[in-house]
Amino acid sequence: MTSRRDFLKGAGATGAGLVLGFHLEAKARPGEAPRAEFRPNAYLAVLPDGTVRITVPKTEMGQGVRTALPLAVAEEMDLDWSKIEVVNAQPGPDFKSMQTGGSTSVSSTWTPLRKAGAAAREMLKAAAAAEWNVGVEQCRTEKGFVLGPGGKKLGYGALAEAAAKLPVPKDPPLKKPADYRLLGQRTPRFDGPAIVTGKAIFGLDVRRPGQRFAAVLRCPVPGGKPRAWDAAKAKAVRGVKAVVEVPTGIAVIADNTWAAFKGREALAATTTWDEGPAKDFNSATLEGKMRAALTGPADEARKDGDVDKALAAAAKVLEAEYAFPYQAHATVEPMNATVHMRADGAEMWTGSQSPNRAQERAAAAAGLKPEQMKVNVALIGGGFGRRLGTDFSTEATQVAKAAGGGPVQVVWDREDDFRHDLYQPATLHRMRAGLDGSGALTAWAHRIAGPAVLRSWMGGQKSPAQASVEANGALDIPYAIPALKVDFAEVEAPTALGWWRGIQIVPNVFARECFLDEVAHAIGKDPLQLRLDLMGDRGVVKFGREEADIRRLKKVLQVAAGKAGWGRKLPAGHGLGLACHAYDGRTYAAEVAEVSVEKGQLRIHKITCAVDCGIALNPLGLEAQVEGGIAFGLSALFSQITWEKGRTVQTGYHDFPVLRLADMPAIETHIVPSTEPPSGIGEPPVPVAIPAVLNAVFAATGQRIRRLPLGPDSFK
Amino acid sequence: MPAYQLTVNGRARTVDAEADTPLLWILRDTLGLTGTKFGCGQGVCGSCTVHLDGQAVRSCQTSLKEAAGHAILTVEGLSKDGSHPVQKAWIAEDVAQCGYCQPGMIMTAAALLKRKAHPTDGDIEDAFADHVCRCGTYPRVRKAVKRAAGGVK
Ligand code: FES
Ligand code: FES
Repeated sequence: MTSRRDFLKGAGATGAGLVLGFHLEAKARPGEAPRAEFRPNAYLAVLPDGTVRITVPKTEMGQGVRTALPLAVAEEMDLDWSKIEVVNAQPGPDFKSMQTGGSTSVSSTWTPLRKAGAAAREMLKAAAAAEWNVGVEQCRTEKGFVLGPGGKKLGYGALAEAAAKLPVPKDPPLKKPADYRLLGQRTPRFDGPAIVTGKAIFGLDVRRPGQRFAAVLRCPVPGGKPRAWDAAKAKAVRGVKAVVEVPTGIAVIADNTWAAFKGREALAATTTWDEGPAKDFNSATLEGKMRAALTGPADEARKDGDVDKALAAAAKVLEAEYAFPYQAHATVEPMNATVHMRADGAEMWTGSQSPNRAQERAAAAAGLKPEQMKVNVALIGGGFGRRLGTDFSTEATQVAKAAGGGPVQVVWDREDDFRHDLYQPATLHRMRAGLDGSGALTAWAHRIAGPAVLRSWMGGQKSPAQASVEANGALDIPYAIPALKVDFAEVEAPTALGWWRGIQIVPNVFARECFLDEVAHAIGKDPLQLRLDLMGDRGVVKFGREEADIRRLKKVLQVAAGKAGWGRKLPAGHGLGLACHAYDGRTYAAEVAEVSVEKGQLRIHKITCAVDCGIALNPLGLEAQVEGGIAFGLSALFSQITWEKGRTVQTGYHDFPVLRLADMPAIETHIVPSTEPPSGIGEPPVPVAIPAVLNAVFAATGQRIRRLPLGPDSFK
Repeated sequence: MPAYQLTVNGRARTVDAEADTPLLWILRDTLGLTGTKFGCGQGVCGSCTVHLDGQAVRSCQTSLKEAAGHAILTVEGLSKDGSHPVQKAWIAEDVAQCGYCQPGMIMTAAALLKRKAHPTDGDIEDAFADHVCRCGTYPRVRKAVKRAAGGVK
């Protein structure tokens, strides 16, 4: 299976092996720093006062990379955690692939970051040994110091200058997990103090001298263009400085955000649009096309045996249709970017999950070379895949260019954010299962129909990997079934699509795990037992280019079920449901939901989650990701984007419900101990939450929900 | 164009801007206090919450004219050094994920605890009914409010 990761890596990466531009050379950089700084590689610098500055090559968006990645360096280097500084990398020769998505930040940086720390540690030890005239094997490190025989002790700061003159070891020894001092501890996030005092700087908080603010009036139908407008009313708004046309619409540039918004409102009243080719697009028509595609031709994503024959021979065939709607990212910080065009280049400040791609595209828009566009990565007020897109940073560059001189911050409002998202598309799923006379599952067919995210991401091109990317979560079904077919039927839609937390795995696992529950009930078997039986005693199973260790999945399922008290007697009206998935074959998650439905009201009481994501670098942060991932999944039980006349019906949190505090169930997280390399945790808890809840709804009520979102009438 | 007087974090400020300008943008753009966040501008996400004479209000729904003459407290003014009991509880429970919604949540928590030293679960649910945290920090918000309970003067 070709994964989304392959496509995320793409832009800006020159060599897949050098994912991080990792190289170990002592470097002096022009215009920077006193000589006494020790900078063995692009990731860290030891300052003369002993502070260690760690450069994080991935974007922080709440998933904790500015804590977890420095921990890996600090562990190997034996740092004093209270004496580190964390800075964000900038795209450029040292950092060629900063893309942050696909839950890959830790797995892709784990080895290079530890090596960076270990190399620095060995050099500091060698510098101390030379200073004391003792063997390096007589030296050890502890909390920012090298300790030597006879109580000798020198701080890293004091050794920095000498260490900088030493050769960088190619293959420094790495610590054994048993010796970890920081990794595995419950470490609060590095940015906590800045966040709670309001000092943390998100993209929207960037303030440059002379900065102006802009809002862009865009056609409510994506792709539409202004036909005619009158800028006079906008210019009459106090604080409005200029009104300029840009490729995405008309920008109103002002002294402050409010004036830009007000000016834009005045402008909107005078503007007529050519709404473009998407103007008649609507959800109902799309659904009709998707339903037709459930039985037409499709691209194969996986085929084991002859499903049609097996279904024809089955004693009983179950069939069901599942539906998942369009979704928005709905990050709380709306899209924004600040760009300063200068005579000799440009500088940008933005929260981007794709800083390299943002740099390339903005530079192209500005008529500059990428290296002339300096990109500063700000903290992100929610990414969830939305900020892998570069539409907003390119647009801000176009606005700044048209505005002429001085920094301009382009601010989207909530409605802009909903109307011009890069959406998760709707899908329909036709599920068929064949059972033999004894009730054994002999055939499984999963047809997915919907718009293709990957095509939209690739600028309209169809990739040979399209079917396998769109069928992620369906084709890697972990159950042994003799005849199995998974395919994807593309349905065109004029909507810009992107990667959403959990991607296509969310709808695909929803359909898969709920339908399997239907099978269990149809044959009168316990849903837990059915899953365990279908996993059998298999080990590592290959799905195209990916593989998964079924034993690890089985383990998390057993842990979640055990901790949740699967099979226990429940209060009247309550039900338990479960689901599991091996996410990209690397992180294993299982959840058990306890719900009740009373008077048409669904209450999700508790979710018990077990995960195996390899070595747990920071259980405190990991549990936060489980809680957050579940909240994100549960929101999708209730939210949807629908289209009418080419535009979204929903424009904000008032009509796109996001889970609130009172709706949040109790979450119990169990981290299954593992010695495997660490893998991602940002997305894996998301997809399993939905089927776990809906299977619990069935257990509680006998009602099978196959269509999302839930509405006020779902439980009548 | 009248100038408006208001007190922000204990400091008297004179602001010359349109009367209908939301306090949110006065804080963020005019006074440079970017700790108060813009999430929706529609009064439904809570990111912009500040205190007006000790009450939690949505600064995106409070005009400059309405704020004039009142004492405004933002997250920057909650304490000099992050030592407010709510801030400390927030760190102790490691609440923040992306952190964007958090200043608003913290201001709501501080106002709630001032009003009611030991809130019930129901009180907490009511106080946070109009807050959106897309990162899903809610379980820890609940814990942090309880941890800070009794500590807010
Ligand atoms: S920004 Fe004020 S409530 Fe959302
Ligand atoms: S912490 Fe990210 S929105 Fe709340």
